[in-house]
Amino acid sequence: MPNIERRDFLKLVGAGSVGVGAGFYLRESIKHPMEHLIPHVVAPEDFSTGIDTWYNTVCSMCAAGCGISVRTREGRVKKIEGNPSHPVSQGRLCALGQAGPQVLYNPDRLTGPLMQTGERGSGAFAQITWDEGLSKVADRLDLLRAAERGNRVCLLSQGVRGHLAQLFERFVDQLGSERLLHYDFDHPHTLYAANQRFFGEQRLPYYDLKNTRYLLSFGADYLGSWISPVHHSLGFGHSRQGRPDVRGRFVQIEPRMSLSGAAADEWIAARPGTEGLLALAVAHHILSKGYYQGADRADWIAVLAGYTTTEVAAQTGVPAETIVRLADAFAQTQPSLAIGGGSAGNHSNGVDTLVAVNALNYLVGNLGKAGGLVFNPEPAGPTTHPHQASYRTMLEFVEDARRGNIEVLIVNGTNPVFTLPSAAGFAEALAEIPLIVSLSSFLDETTALADVILPSHTYLESWGDDFPEPGVGFPVGAVSQPVASPLYDTRATGDIILGLAQRLDMNDVLPWSSMEDCIKDGWRQIHERGGGDVRTESFESFWRAVLTAGVWGEETHRESTFTLDKSVIAGIGVQAPEFSGASDDYPFILHPYLSTTLHDGRAANLPWLQELPDPMTSVVYGSWVEMNPVTAKGLGLTEGDLVDIESPHGRIRAPVYVYPAIMPDVIAMPIGQGHAEYGRYARNRGVNPIEILSPQMEPQTGSLASSATRVKITATGRRAELVKTGGNSRDLGRNIVQTTGAGQHSANLNSIPITVIPS
Amino acid sequence: MPTETNDLQYADVHRDVIRSIVETGPQYYIALGTAFGVTLLCFFFPWSYQLYYGIGAAGMNHPGVWGTYLASFIFWIGLSHSGTLLSCVLHLTHSTWRKAMYRSAEAMTLFSLMVAATFVMVHVGRPWFIHWALPYPNQMEMWPNFRSPLLFDVMAIGTYITGSSIFIYMGSIPDFAAVRDRTTGWRNNMYALLSMGWRGTDREWHRLHWAYTFLAVLIIPLAVSVHSIVSWDFAMSIVPALHQTIFAPYFVVGAIYSGTAGIVTVMFVLRKYMDFGQYITKVHFDNLGKLLLVLSLIWTYINGIELFTGWFSGASSEHEALRYKLFGYYAPLYWEMIAFCAVAPLLCISSRFRTSFVPMLILSIAINIGMYTERFLIVGTSLSRQYLPDAWGVYVPSLVEISIIVGSLALFVTLFLVFVKIVPSVSMYEVKETMDAPKPEPVASPEGSPA
Amino acid sequence: MSLLDRFTDGWRKYRKPGYYEEFDYHWAMTIDLDKCTGCEACVTACQAENNLPIVGEKAFAEGREMKWIRIERYWEGEYPDVKLRFIPMLCQQCDSAPCETVCPVSATYHNQDGLNTQIYNRCIGTRSCAVYCPYEVRYFNWNDHQWDAPLEQQLNPDVTVREKGVMEKCTFCIQRIRQAKDHAKDDGRRRVRDGEVQPACVQTCPANALVFGDRKDPNSQVSRSMNDPRAYRVLEELNTDPSVVYLKKVDAKG
Repeated sequence: MPNIERRDFLKLVGAGSVGVGAGFYLRESIKHPMEHLIPHVVAPEDFSTGIDTWYNTVCSMCAAGCGISVRTREGRVKKIEGNPSHPVSQGRLCALGQAGPQVLYNPDRLTGPLMQTGERGSGAFAQITWDEGLSKVADRLDLLRAAERGNRVCLLSQGVRGHLAQLFERFVDQLGSERLLHYDFDHPHTLYAANQRFFGEQRLPYYDLKNTRYLLSFGADYLGSWISPVHHSLGFGHSRQGRPDVRGRFVQIEPRMSLSGAAADEWIAARPGTEGLLALAVAHHILSKGYYQGADRADWIAVLAGYTTTEVAAQTGVPAETIVRLADAFAQTQPSLAIGGGSAGNHSNGVDTLVAVNALNYLVGNLGKAGGLVFNPEPAGPTTHPHQASYRTMLEFVEDARRGNIEVLIVNGTNPVFTLPSAAGFAEALAEIPLIVSLSSFLDETTALADVILPSHTYLESWGDDFPEPGVGFPVGAVSQPVASPLYDTRATGDIILGLAQRLDMNDVLPWSSMEDCIKDGWRQIHERGGGDVRTESFESFWRAVLTAGVWGEETHRESTFTLDKSVIAGIGVQAPEFSGASDDYPFILHPYLSTTLHDGRAANLPWLQELPDPMTSVVYGSWVEMNPVTAKGLGLTEGDLVDIESPHGRIRAPVYVYPAIMPDVIAMPIGQGHAEYGRYARNRGVNPIEILSPQMEPQTGSLASSATRVKITATGRRAELVKTGGNSRDLGRNIVQTTGAGQHSANLNSIPITVIPS
Repeated sequence: MPTETNDLQYADVHRDVIRSIVETGPQYYIALGTAFGVTLLCFFFPWSYQLYYGIGAAGMNHPGVWGTYLASFIFWIGLSHSGTLLSCVLHLTHSTWRKAMYRSAEAMTLFSLMVAATFVMVHVGRPWFIHWALPYPNQMEMWPNFRSPLLFDVMAIGTYITGSSIFIYMGSIPDFAAVRDRTTGWRNNMYALLSMGWRGTDREWHRLHWAYTFLAVLIIPLAVSVHSIVSWDFAMSIVPALHQTIFAPYFVVGAIYSGTAGIVTVMFVLRKYMDFGQYITKVHFDNLGKLLLVLSLIWTYINGIELFTGWFSGASSEHEALRYKLFGYYAPLYWEMIAFCAVAPLLCISSRFRTSFVPMLILSIAINIGMYTERFLIVGTSLSRQYLPDAWGVYVPSLVEISIIVGSLALFVTLFLVFVKIVPSVSMYEVKETMDAPKPEPVASPEGSPA
Repeated sequence: MSLLDRFTDGWRKYRKPGYYEEFDYHWAMTIDLDKCTGCEACVTACQAENNLPIVGEKAFAEGREMKWIRIERYWEGEYPDVKLRFIPMLCQQCDSAPCETVCPVSATYHNQDGLNTQIYNRCIGTRSCAVYCPYEVRYFNWNDHQWDAPLEQQLNPDVTVREKGVMEKCTFCIQRIRQAKDHAKDDGRRRVRDGEVQPACVQTCPANALVFGDRKDPNSQVSRSMNDPRAYRVLEELNTDPSVVYLKKVDAKG
């Protein structure tokens, strides 16, 4: 044993430890990230990567209000699935809902309050504290309220339901303002108006696809983007192959085949805007064949006299025999159901069209019964529709802003700079507003113009509640709870409003310290009212039960008696649609549709959805313009040719996609792309067809007739590669998707576990 | 002997060949430097990038998951064929004209195999684990999958490369000894080692001949099986247009065809730049020309059969594969291949053409371009059009791939240039066998003895 | 029985009908094309569950997307009498899988549950399995994939993130199957109950078109579904014996 000095020993130990440490660090640093995870092929028995915690909450990606179960691990959101107990989603979820984690973990989220330091739109923001931000806004509001100019404050939000909607109402009311606007591009104003006129209520009925045997859909893409796609898909699947004795048949009437058109047994192209005429022709045939024997038969015959199948056939382009066939099948196959919406409602005659569709349901007795149209009872909590702003309302707002009548604009979640046509002049009007506050979680086009940004939590971090509209035939409520702790220095929308309220001394009307309190308070009332499937003495156990289940429902449903007022019958009739732009100059009708993957553009910042092939065309990451093969050939265009699409109100450029299922004089474009802001995944990708829409309105509701724009197409001679998956879209007789005759229906006994309509 | 070497003396042979080893002019260094530089720049540099980035550096995609790397692999395996195989066949049939050229032909085999093996490394996604394809005992107790045609391939190529190396080495031993005896310094030491103490006794000659013939017999079926097995990588799949019984003979014929053309090219170069004009003569070109003609006819026939069976199958997938090959995206390449490999070689009918050096060189290069195209088309067209039309796609090679292909050629040239300075590129003792015995002196020890 | 006899006997039985009788499960899926709407919810669900990368526009354009389940679409007829048919295409978990025989290192093999499994850390990336697969459902990692922070926080800890040079494909969500088996064991049950385990795609399908289960259990939903007269297998003529069974779409006009 050699002699080692103490100092040498210490040196050696020191050098050795440093060496070992450095070596270890080096080894770790060159490891592939994969090796930091568990590389077992088959993990040992006792090995667990962790334990899942599931929370039930509500999806906020679209207005359907699906209940979701969120799988978390170590406080992180891993996966979102449908909540099996929730009657809307019943455990299922669409692509949009599945992409929820990417809202929470989006790399482009706003991480804290910001103040615009440069010109608006310059993108120069400085970080501020919440205190500064809230005070700045509250001071301004306080001044206005004191000067009794509270009406110069506008709260412009996306459609929200539940107690947040109530909170908004009270807050705006306390300011002395009447300007509470909820703006959504996809809100079905015409459908509400048609139901109001026909059924006398501002509430949508429940469309019972599940039990129907024959569905006639006028323009409603019920499987892709219309109202509640997940629930409709559940119903569709069940109607198709969930019943032992019968297979539901589906007919879709629209100028461009949508996802629902592809799923239908028959897709019928009617000229844009003539869907209502077609519905009335069907009604005419039902009456003339004597399928309807009600007391008011004579009135119907009188009002429908002008809509014979032959005349309508000429106007719609649908052969008279087809109309007759549809009418016979619709009347004879019971229960049947007619629904209308989407592009059919987005014309100058939208309300009349949808009233005509309602009339069909009335004439064959589909109202208030399973497999037909079921009336919804009063919802259990506050809903939004009185504040839904139509296009006309937005124009009024723009006009007010121009005149300098708006001094503070608080924007929450909605993005009108993107979802309003440029003809509305919304972005320009914003320039006249001295203070714009945005509560968005992302820097979208509207938020980019804000002076103060008070970023809100995503829906996975905040408290809230939801009462699905339309309901499912009985009252349903669901509580939305935070499933992950806040990622950044953001606050729940309700908390921001409450924070402002506290600074403005609104404690008597808005007494809650937080949104959680507010929600709890609201649900205390529901508990006190009694009823519902959760019955406990104490509120706390009720609350726990609701939170655990994620949903609460009342097993009541409404009486289904309905009498139609004669004046409604007299008012039935559909005018020919009006289009802006002369057909000589602008030979094509533009059919913009909500993207199945990106919806109205709100999901364009989610990479999963950007990378999700469009169901019909398989295109990803961009915009395209669909045209009939014959049209394309006539214009000498093939897939990928860049064309200019010009309306009287603007011009955009997109590559051609030759689409076999669209009328020759219609071109279609998906909505969703064309963002100028909104994060790295959305920015500068494709074009936004909303931009060039003509400000044509449906006169009764003032909603935008978004399918009523005429355009012309000019080839640019340039080409752009369409990024898509599909190689060849014909199967060349290889029999890959096999079919069988209608007689071969077989019971595939795998039905949906939950009964929606108590029978 | 009907050769043009009649006026040569044994000493001339030694002098000429050893000169090619010992005397090195600037031309050689320029050539070697260029080849090595190109290898570094075009082969190893892009490959390093690919190792870092992933196979995505190449142009492959779904469904074109196999691309030029695999095509190059088959090409080089094919090119390897005529060397040793031809040499063996000719050795067994006692064709004397083989003797001047077989050494370089065998070297070509060896180096093409090496380049081919490199392409396996370039092709796979994780070459650092390539040894898993070898059956060796390991702590994971994992064997490779013996049912896989790819594993057959590993075995076949492994055997072939071993056999070829032994064959070329054994044939060179007397020549190493000859060089050993005429050099000094480090060369002398090196060749002393390489010649394994060859003394040129009768027993040694006897054993050499026996072993050489034995190996020749062994290598012929091996060579045939190697390319059959390479073809099974494709034919054993169920990809339309690949799943064909004709593939094994198709590949073997194609291999010999491109290999023969390769020999013509190499012989031209040796003749021209290594001053072997007296050893590699018109006779060689004439014979090889005839061989090329025969091979091209067989090759054309098999191509016809391939089209016929595809059409005869009546299956949509096969028809589409045919249509795509003849008229699709890659069709220009197909017709180029037909022009180079089926039409152009018909010129060899003329003996004047066969005995003209430059036209034969151009033809041989054209054939190999055509044969490369053939390999590319086998991979490219079939994968692009499979059973599910929705999954069809097109594959276009990337710059990295093209660069690696060019670089692999430079790698081959580099290896060959190193070879000619180490191994006598013309077999001295066998050339001497074809010559008359030296006249001035009485015959003492005919061959390979120390001078 | 001599060693040779045992070997030949085993070889003869190997993956022939009846082979799986010895084992506990034989997982299978049915896809009802009459219900499938082509909405692609399954595609996103799969992406979320299995840590599938976001490849970006450029790689997508190059044909390098990673989707373990994809929707294929086939048009039929011409306007106005035109139809679009969807078919979800995922690994068919063939019992006679061509991909398994070709892998030189056995990185893909058939496990006892009838699953065609891919062992990422054994894979050397010859990509021959993708060539041999007639359904073209094998996806190769052309490069390492990045998740822009903090998107990586969503990654599923039960599923490996694959590195460059490795082949991957649908696993029938093997991590869920494992978990279900563990739960069954913890509960003292020998078998997993029907419906207890569902891959992410099946779980989310809004139209309920996908059914998953153990086909060895004659009463399971999937067994009943597989016996449906509409049942067929895609590319059945290739004899790959897939575990994914499609139910024919009913073609009823008007």
